[in-house]
Amino acid sequence: MEKENWIEKILNSTDGMTQVIPSDDLFLKIQQKTNKQNKVSEKTVWLVAASIAVLVLLNFTVLLTKTKESKTTTTVYFENTLNKSNQLYQ
Amino acid sequence: MIDNQSHFEKLYREFHVLVFNVALNYLQNTEDAEEVTQDVFVKIHNSLDNFNQKSSYKTWIYRITINQCLDFLKQKNSQKRFFIFGKKSQNEQEYLNTTTFEHPGIVLERQEDAKILFEVINTLTENQKTAFLLSKLDGLSNPEIAEIMQLSISSVESLVFRAKTTLKEKLADKFSNYRKK
Repeated sequence: MEKENWIEKILNSTDGMTQVIPSDDLFLKIQQKTNKQNKVSEKTVWLVAASIAVLVLLNFTVLLTKTKESKTTTTVYFENTLNKSNQLYQ
Repeated sequence: MIDNQSHFEKLYREFHVLVFNVALNYLQNTEDAEEVTQDVFVKIHNSLDNFNQKSSYKTWIYRITINQCLDFLKQKNSQKRFFIFGKKSQNEQEYLNTTTFEHPGIVLERQEDAKILFEVINTLTENQKTAFLLSKLDGLSNPEIAEIMQLSISSVESLVFRAKTTLKEKLADKFSNYRKK
């Protein structure tokens, strides 16, 4: 009987338990965590911007070189063919 | 965006005490409970847009809190495991040191008894512990617990029953130690 009473006493020890209020700065801590997730660091922004700039510059340079090359090739071809076909006296 | 923020703040005001107390009952450590509460609300903030209205906010928040507590315990236990090939305990709660924990919501005269109870609660299986805590400490009904745990009502009834039986058996073993004192 004593054993059963003791077990019941232990099992009922949480009866009438009150709710515990967390510290006041909890919301502030949560906001800091969520802001940290939302905010992208300035370093990352600059790194991405620099990468895009380098990529554009590279594309532009390649495009420019290719155009120049193709112009030169066309002119040389013209010169060669003109020389041959326009040679009236051999 | 502003609407979302005010909605989040409203949810925080309504549920922060509930989340903190569930975590406190589960982890039996004030600092850990605060950490888990923060993580729970960060999760709520991030997934508020994806919330489908299939369940109530209360059920959804309860579910996130319990999962977060379980993850926290697993993480804590894995840190305590010294070797990567060390033997894994069948009961994740085994490592919890609860003997020094005094629940701030329990009256002084019952603190010693509550300590014994929490110690024994921590030896229950995950599901038994969850069902018992939600039933006994949160005062939730079996259908409510079933919705949170995504189980059938009969499964919850069985879990609570088995939890009580196990607690009584373990307390009976402890009684002999108590008498020796």
